[in-house]
Amino acid sequence: MIPKMVSLIFLSFKEGVRERALIGIGLFSLFMMGSAFVGVSLFMRDLHKVSVDINLSAITLAGLLLTFFVSINLISKDIDKHTIYCVLSKPFSRSQYIWGKYLGIMLLIVTAFCMLTLCSSVNLFLIKSQYDVYFQTFSWLEFYKAIYSELLMLFLLNAIVLFFSTITTSSFITLLFSLSIYVAGQTIEEVVLFLKTRSAADMALSETINTIIDITQYILPNLSVFDLKVHAAHAIPISYGYLFSITCYSLVYSVVLLLSASIIFNRRELN
Amino acid sequence: MPEIRIKNISKTYVSEFKREKKIAVENFSLTIHSAESFGIIGRNGAGKSTTIKMIMGFIKPDKGDIIIDDKKPSDPDSRLNVGYLPENPYFYDNLSAEELLKFSSYTSGLDKKTAEKRINTLLNQVGLYAVRKQRLRTYSKGMTQRVGICFALIHDPDIIILDEPMSGLDPFGRKMVIDLIEDLKKRGKTILFCSHILNDVERICDRVAIMDSGTLKGIFTKQHVLENEGMEKLFLTLVREK
Repeated sequence: MIPKMVSLIFLSFKEGVRERALIGIGLFSLFMMGSAFVGVSLFMRDLHKVSVDINLSAITLAGLLLTFFVSINLISKDIDKHTIYCVLSKPFSRSQYIWGKYLGIMLLIVTAFCMLTLCSSVNLFLIKSQYDVYFQTFSWLEFYKAIYSELLMLFLLNAIVLFFSTITTSSFITLLFSLSIYVAGQTIEEVVLFLKTRSAADMALSETINTIIDITQYILPNLSVFDLKVHAAHAIPISYGYLFSITCYSLVYSVVLLLSASIIFNRRELN
Repeated sequence: MPEIRIKNISKTYVSEFKREKKIAVENFSLTIHSAESFGIIGRNGAGKSTTIKMIMGFIKPDKGDIIIDDKKPSDPDSRLNVGYLPENPYFYDNLSAEELLKFSSYTSGLDKKTAEKRINTLLNQVGLYAVRKQRLRTYSKGMTQRVGICFALIHDPDIIILDEPMSGLDPFGRKMVIDLIEDLKKRGKTILFCSHILNDVERICDRVAIMDSGTLKGIFTKQHVLENEGMEKLFLTLVREK
C-alpha cells in the first residue's frame, strides 16, 4: 500500500513539474550556462572564477525563480481555487498537508538542482578542457559544496514561502513578504556590521535601536551564510564543520517555520 | 446508529476590512441516519455549503457540535469513510483524471490493484475512460464534475456528501448522476445531497431539510412532500421572496 503522505508529496511534485514556468526557468538557466561557455573567451584572466561564478549564479537564480514563481503558486492556487478541498476531504490533517506540500516542492527543487548541476558540470568540464591552464586552482569539491549550500538556502526560503502562504490570502502578498525576507536575509549581516561600526566611529546609536537591531538580526534568517560562490570561485576550502552548522541552521529554522505554519493553518477557515 | 449528527451549530462570517458580520448558519440541528439519503435545499446563500464545509472540517462552527461517523470533523479519520464532492469542483489541472483518481485511491487506503480496478470501472461508468490520460485543464465543466464524482466515490465510502452535484451537467450527465446516486441508495449508502434543483432532491432523497438565511425551516419526509403537492409548493410556502 502506498502511504498517503508519499501520494501527497508526489501529487505536489507532479503538479509543479508540469508548470509551464518551469520550462522557461530551465531554458533561461541553460542559456546562462551557455553564455558562460561563450563569454569566458572574452576575459583575459581569472577564467575559472568567471565560469564558476556564472554557473553557480545560474543555478541559484533558477532555484529562486522556482521558489518565487512555482512554489508560491502551488500553495496559493490550492487555497484560492479550492483545490485544497480535494486533499483535505481525504484523511489528512492540515499539518500533514503543510508537510506534504513542502516536501513535494523540495523534491521538485532537488530534482531541478540535480539536473542543473549535471548541466553545469558538463559546461565547466568543457570550459576546463579548453582553458585548462586557468583551472589549476579549481576544485570540483568546493563547487559542489557551494551548490549544496544554495540548496540549503532554498530549503529555508521555501519554508518562509509556505509560512507566509498560510497567513496571507493572496499570492502577491506572499511573494512580497517572501521577497522582502530574502533581501533582508541576504543583507542583514552587512547592514548590522555597517550600523555598528558607523555608530562606533560617528555617533552612538541609542540603546533601544541597538536592541532592535540585535533582535532583528536574530529573528531574520541570515541567508548570506549560504552564499559560498566566492569560496567555490577561488577554491577556498569550506570546512565540513561549517557545512554541518549551516545544514543544522537551515533545518532547524525550516522546521520551526513549518511548525508555526501548521499551527496557524490549523486555525484558518477554508471557505 | 446515526452517521451524521449536527447539534445547534452557528457560523457568522466577519468581513476582513469593514468587520461586518453576516450570519451564515444559526442554531442548525440535524441528524442523518445510516443508509438514508438526505437533501438540504435552499436558495443561494441559504447556508447549505457552509453547513457542508463545517461537516467536512474546512471551517469551524462558532458554536455547536458535529459528529460524523462517531468522530469530530477536526479528526482526519472522520473523513476515512466519506466521499465528498465540492460545489464547482476544481482539481489539479496539470494532472490527468487517472492520476488524480490514483491519488484519491491511495490516500483512502486502497492498494494498487484494487485502485486500478475501481478507477477503470468508475471512469467507464461516467464516460471518461477514453480521456483518462488527458490533463484536467482540457476538460469541460461537466467533465470536471464527473471526475469529481469519481474522486468522491473511488473508495466506495459509506457516507457520501455531494454539494450541488448536478451543477454544470447536461441532461445526459444529470441522468447519469441520478442513476449513480440511486444505485448508491440501493447499496445502503448514507447520502447528504445539497441542491437548489428541487425536482432532483424530490426524486432522490428520503428526507429533505429546507434552509433559509442560515436557519432550518423544516425537515420533511418524501411521503409528506408527495402528499403536499410537491417540493416546489412546499419550498415556496416556507421560503418567502425577499
